[in-house]
Amino acid sequence: MNKTVTNLFTSPYPTSIQTSLDSYACIARYDPSGRFILAGRIDGVAIVWDLDTKGQARWCDGHVKGITCVDWSRNSRYILTGSKDWNVVVWDLASDRDPPRRRSTIRFDVPVISAYFHPKNSKIILVLLSSGEVYIVDQRREYKGRYELIEVLDESDDEGQYNRSRSAPTAVRFDPSGKHVFVGTTLGTVLVFNTRTKTMIARHKISGAGIIRGLELVASGRRLVTNSSDRVLRQFTLPVYAPPSADNEYIEQELEPTLRFHDPISKVSWRSMSYSPDGEWLAGGAADDASHKIYIWDLARDGLLASTLDGGRELLMDVHWHPSKPAIASCTNMGNIFIWHCPTEERWGAFAGGFEEVDENVEYEEREDEFDIEDEAEIARRKMLEEEEDVDIEGGVEEVDGPAEQSRQNGENDEDILWALEEPDDDMKTWKLKVLTEDEDAM
Amino acid sequence: MAVTMEVDAEDHKPPRESLEPIPEPQLLPDLNGDDEPRSQSPREPMDTTSPDPTARSPPPVPESYAQTPAPIPEQKNLGPYKPNYQPHLILSGHSRSVSSIKFSPDGTMLASCGEWLRAYSDIPGLDHELMGYCKQAADKLIKLWDAETGDIIRTLEGHTEGISDVAWSANGDFLASASDDKTVRLWSLESNAVPRVLYGHTNFVFCVNFSPSSNMLASGGFDESVRVWDVARGKTLKTLPAHSDPVTAVTFNHDGTLIGSCSMDGLIRIWDTESGQCLKTLADDDNPICSHIKFTPNSRFILASTQDSTVRLWDTQTSKCVKTYSGHTNRTFCIFTDFAPGRKHVMSGSEDMKIYVWDLQTREIVQVLEGHRDVVIAVASHPTRAIIASAAMEKDLTIRLWIDQPANEG
Repeated sequence: MNKTVTNLFTSPYPTSIQTSLDSYACIARYDPSGRFILAGRIDGVAIVWDLDTKGQARWCDGHVKGITCVDWSRNSRYILTGSKDWNVVVWDLASDRDPPRRRSTIRFDVPVISAYFHPKNSKIILVLLSSGEVYIVDQRREYKGRYELIEVLDESDDEGQYNRSRSAPTAVRFDPSGKHVFVGTTLGTVLVFNTRTKTMIARHKISGAGIIRGLELVASGRRLVTNSSDRVLRQFTLPVYAPPSADNEYIEQELEPTLRFHDPISKVSWRSMSYSPDGEWLAGGAADDASHKIYIWDLARDGLLASTLDGGRELLMDVHWHPSKPAIASCTNMGNIFIWHCPTEERWGAFAGGFEEVDENVEYEEREDEFDIEDEAEIARRKMLEEEEDVDIEGGVEEVDGPAEQSRQNGENDEDILWALEEPDDDMKTWKLKVLTEDEDAM
Repeated sequence: MAVTMEVDAEDHKPPRESLEPIPEPQLLPDLNGDDEPRSQSPREPMDTTSPDPTARSPPPVPESYAQTPAPIPEQKNLGPYKPNYQPHLILSGHSRSVSSIKFSPDGTMLASCGEWLRAYSDIPGLDHELMGYCKQAADKLIKLWDAETGDIIRTLEGHTEGISDVAWSANGDFLASASDDKTVRLWSLESNAVPRVLYGHTNFVFCVNFSPSSNMLASGGFDESVRVWDVARGKTLKTLPAHSDPVTAVTFNHDGTLIGSCSMDGLIRIWDTESGQCLKTLADDDNPICSHIKFTPNSRFILASTQDSTVRLWDTQTSKCVKTYSGHTNRTFCIFTDFAPGRKHVMSGSEDMKIYVWDLQTREIVQVLEGHRDVVIAVASHPTRAIIASAAMEKDLTIRLWIDQPANEG
């Protein structure tokens, strides 16, 4: 909305720190609307920050050990926290209390490394455990259960058997459509599973990568970036995956990175990376042991380093790009969340109506009729004519859709999507976070 | 609450049963066809100072109207739809001028507040003695009315001076009020707790509004600034050096990214909520005092009433006035303007004691509602039904609800 009024030329990536949220956090994620940040703390608490007021909106106290992962459902109603205490908790922010009501607690028997909501249905949750198991936890009545995703190995191949003992998943992600699950392993392979059938449909070997530490997909789902133990971020263009076949065939394919990002001088490794919403930029958080540095690369220009953001001496733990704006949230080892933004300069001309600011002197050319005396009646008549035109006071605002409507818009009415939309959650755009006032005495 | 009951008690002690709406469906055709005011018609002069229960007893409402949410009438033929608002309820209870009325977001309640400032501040040469008198006499109360029956549900008391504006939060949990005691009060309607008092303004607070997600509140006043508040913590987030005269209205756009403000300096300013920077200023050549502004539902336009007896629709993108509505009288007071239910019409109070309804597109007056006996200062449109509310000043003191009854229906 603002853009239509301001029409400012702003940088496509953030340039400076706007705020620091003191939150004792080790991980921070924007919600899909960009209004909140969910911060996971090392003491097991998760905080929902309201970015409008820079205040803590909810305090989710439910874990006894540090939080390892957080995620938002697509309309931000549900949040998920995974912890070293072996639990994944789903919280319902639409409940009128603080801490919010727990929708469910999913218990495992080892610490949780990461967990994600299915992008289309928060009742489907992907979990990676420290034991190296990957589960899809389906909380829908019809499909209720935990389904392990298991790598298919070529049984005739002895080497395969040998590998099996060593290969373990280290990173998982849904693709943005939710149709596929990407799994990075200790062997430098990326496995692709179909979410509905839980069958492996592809294995991509990435040569020289070592252990895969992290995976990120661009919003369109066409590109993947991996973080690996060889301190290189690699971007790949993904092939189009066919629907799973009956005989469980899979593609065995080596992927060649289209772009590689690394620091040739200090050989720094990467904590995490995040795409800009349009997929044109990539931010990489460096695991530098003396400074807080975020590198920003221009993907449209062959991965040229566009900027390095320096956040001072607190070490970087995590990076996440805002879902729609040139803003980044980065966590420090001191538990602060830095909100990076691009500041806009105050335009003093905006205070005067009909005033235009110019950067340099302009020779003014008088219009031919500028000082002609016009008949006032004629002016009034013309004004009345202009006002005849109809105005639209309601249009141009996003409509509120149900999940079925969304999928129709995406034109992805295939089996996998329809499966995910069965028994939809009640995560609608219309829900609102109830504002709870703090006790005045507590201030 | 005990203190507030005194006011209520005098006016509204009569047995509740007598106020129950009686089903009387055959009355409706009468209302349409007959111009003769009926005995209970609000056009009939009546003694508002007497504690007569019939003074605010409604023309009986048919049960069907009270129960079923009447859909906003659809356009039947090709010509523009002409509303036919008829008197529906008269609410009286305020002992001083009503300054602002607002329907709750679900339409079940109407909030009103009483004050003197919106009425007298603009009179030049008003001496201090009179001002003092007015202040003492100000009603300082917020009343919540049942929009269906017209009963008073609650009276909120706490402000030490008159109140100029009230606003509902988006889910109806909170009510904010702006007062001449230089504070904004935040009333939680769920708990009966004491309101949170927001201190910060250095002069009378004149206008207040919530952001769409209700986490922020904007207020403006005679200290010429706009303050943005954190609702959860009750602290000022930003102070915008908004205007060079008292701020008469402040409002958020539909997604809360913009704040609009207008002032007696005749300017309308649009602000970026996040940074607090001024993005645009809309000004007419003559700079008439701007009484009230409201964003259109899509935030593309701003509806502004000015004290040159004109309501204008401004395009925020081109900074041009695209529609002008005139015919009413507004020279002295900060009169509210709003879109009528259905968003096809614009309505405004007027100093000739009437309410004017214009067609949004053609700018023609489609209906003039008569009945109030003083300046109609505030108008409000019901969020879901074709009902408008209006409130008038000192000599009238009533709030009236008008319901649209399409002429071709019974």
